[in-house]
Amino acid sequence: MALIENTKCECGHQNRVGTVLCESCGKPLDDRGDSKGLLEMRYDGVARRSQRVNPNFIDRIWNFFSSVKVAVYLIIFTLVGAMLGTIFEQESNFINFDPTTFYKDKYGQIGEIYYKLGLSHTYESWWFVLLLVMIGASLVICSLDRVLPLYKALSKQRIPKHMQFLTRQKVVYQGPLAEEGRDWVERAVKPLRKKGYRVHTEKSALLAEKQRFSRWGPYIIHIGLIVFLLAVLFRGLPGLHYDQHYWFPEGEKTKIPGTNLYLENEKFRVEYYSEDEMSEGFRKTGKVVAKLFETKAVLYECTANCDDPSKEPQLKEVQRHAIQVNDPLTYKGLRAYQFDFDLTPKLRSVQPVLVNQVTGEQYGKFKLEMNNPQQEFKLGPYTLELKNKFLDFSLNEQGQPISKSKDPNAPAFLFVVKGPDLPEEGSQFIYFPKQIDKERFQQDAINEKLGGLQNKLELDVQSMEDVDIIASSSYLNIRIDRAMPFVWLGLGIVMLGLIMSFYWQHRRIWLRIDEGILTLGAHTTKNWFGMRREVSSFLSAMGIEADEKSLENGGE
Amino acid sequence: MGKARRPVQIIVLLCIVVLGAYAINSAVLGRGNDKPVVGSKPPAVKLLGLDGKVHTLDEYKGKAIVINFWATWCTYCVNEMPALQQQWEKWRDSGVVVLGINTGEDKMTVTNFTQQLGTDFPILFDTDNEAVRDYGVVPMPTTFFVDKKGKIASIQQGELNLKTLNEQIKQLVQTEG
Repeated sequence: MALIENTKCECGHQNRVGTVLCESCGKPLDDRGDSKGLLEMRYDGVARRSQRVNPNFIDRIWNFFSSVKVAVYLIIFTLVGAMLGTIFEQESNFINFDPTTFYKDKYGQIGEIYYKLGLSHTYESWWFVLLLVMIGASLVICSLDRVLPLYKALSKQRIPKHMQFLTRQKVVYQGPLAEEGRDWVERAVKPLRKKGYRVHTEKSALLAEKQRFSRWGPYIIHIGLIVFLLAVLFRGLPGLHYDQHYWFPEGEKTKIPGTNLYLENEKFRVEYYSEDEMSEGFRKTGKVVAKLFETKAVLYECTANCDDPSKEPQLKEVQRHAIQVNDPLTYKGLRAYQFDFDLTPKLRSVQPVLVNQVTGEQYGKFKLEMNNPQQEFKLGPYTLELKNKFLDFSLNEQGQPISKSKDPNAPAFLFVVKGPDLPEEGSQFIYFPKQIDKERFQQDAINEKLGGLQNKLELDVQSMEDVDIIASSSYLNIRIDRAMPFVWLGLGIVMLGLIMSFYWQHRRIWLRIDEGILTLGAHTTKNWFGMRREVSSFLSAMGIEADEKSLENGGE
Repeated sequence: MGKARRPVQIIVLLCIVVLGAYAINSAVLGRGNDKPVVGSKPPAVKLLGLDGKVHTLDEYKGKAIVINFWATWCTYCVNEMPALQQQWEKWRDSGVVVLGINTGEDKMTVTNFTQQLGTDFPILFDTDNEAVRDYGVVPMPTTFFVDKKGKIASIQQGELNLKTLNEQIKQLVQTEG
């Protein structure tokens, strides 16, 4: 066996290694011309770019990724890997949980193995991403390796083809002609053009071709898939992807961390299914189910002082929407989804008056905020200096006042009061805005010890209008996915490629006349039935009756 | 034809390797929601301090930083405050900064608290929970030890071990930047 394949065709053309059909005349190079089997017409018989005589290291990598077989295996591995990730829920489904114990507790031994194998984050694991990258490499290299030679082959086709090239096509006709070859060929141009072919003639040979662009369909699909893959793989770039959950208390403008946007929950409301809307069986369970929950949200963009925490940011309203489940607020790629809610009311501020218990005189009212309260209040002859506050009042082991949390569950305010009949340095006074706390923590008893003001002065909230409450908080899922437009773009390109290659076919008819014998071969990328009918109808227009079925070349 | 192809092949392969490595890297590291880990740089912060000025980590370049996330209502945080103050006094001249990041409380609460305990290391207000998010703080307290080269040397979730705290800071000082 010769080490170096002889790739020179009898027509004198020097072909590249791996060529199946001579690039010039189309003669099959695979055998010595004794075979009568159908031709291998893929890529028009030209060599793929990476096919070389002495492949070196780079060529070998190139060949590996250029192989369709490898691509199929890569796709199968990726599919199996993706399936593994659907067995148990993935870590990314949870906001706050401990994966080290979750899988074991829920699924036992199997769950633990699943977690230990790293399958609880399949789609973020190195091997899964590596498979996707390899598919990407395969797409790029496969395409480059085939599309360039194919483009060259199709853009410089020779019109007269080797006899074997014609007789070994799938659609073939051979028969005698009564007239001169050149005249017949000239006459053939018109009916072919009528069928939409572009016709080229050379002496007594003819090439008719249509819808060549459909050959580029698969490569367009590949480009689309590459765009899609890149978008998916680079979703993790900073700023492209954001998925967080935050609480938005009613009536507050809350900053969305990591952005320069603020979201105000103007009003939150929830509706429950009423008794008569429930079925008999469900009523018995005693459950209450929310029918609708809605956050009237306003989105603000910061226009100035955004980056300076010592200044008040300037906000501009940019969007307004009533967020419901599956109906998010959207603004420039940001989406705010309704996720949860909390109906625990929280005190925002109270507006008490100062009452002189002896004379009954009232001074005030003044606004006492739970967060960032004003620190000094002048009320008639009295001055109240706010010394300390405990939003969730409690006493520690040493008997000192502390706050158990940052939520105003049991707020308490410690004032130093100065004024007539009081010591010059002032007298301490503790105030619990909530009636229940006043009794529970015995406000009067504490004040007795602090300075004995409980019989002289009192802070009193006179009506519910003077109480400002955060009635509820809405839990929203804030998402930004800037890679999505690229995902859609990629899929759009894929669709375009699919349409190109599915709805059109690249059809070619070659014919030559040698000494009164017409030889015709035809090729299409798909729909051979249609191709045969087209050839048959062309022949009948030329006065040759050939049955569609008789045109089929079975090979041997 | 053959000559022009080689560079193209090499460029395409290189692009695939670089993009692929980046994709794998960001997928694997991005799993933890970009939370800082040991060896990474502490996320930048820009917060208002108790002194009324705006502070960033850049001010402490070349110094070792002990970043402690705390709140007055968190008992463990309160317990370790005196120890942090002690370490601050001991190491401040050797280029160590103790930085207390208060999570979401107002100025009065924090001022009263620090006066009561007598701490004077710098305190910053994380009003909008931005630092909490960037640092991925879940339990409180959480403490990040940043060495002089600006890399996180260790992360302590929950209470500090007061017995080894001194040793931990000593090690930070020894990594000269």
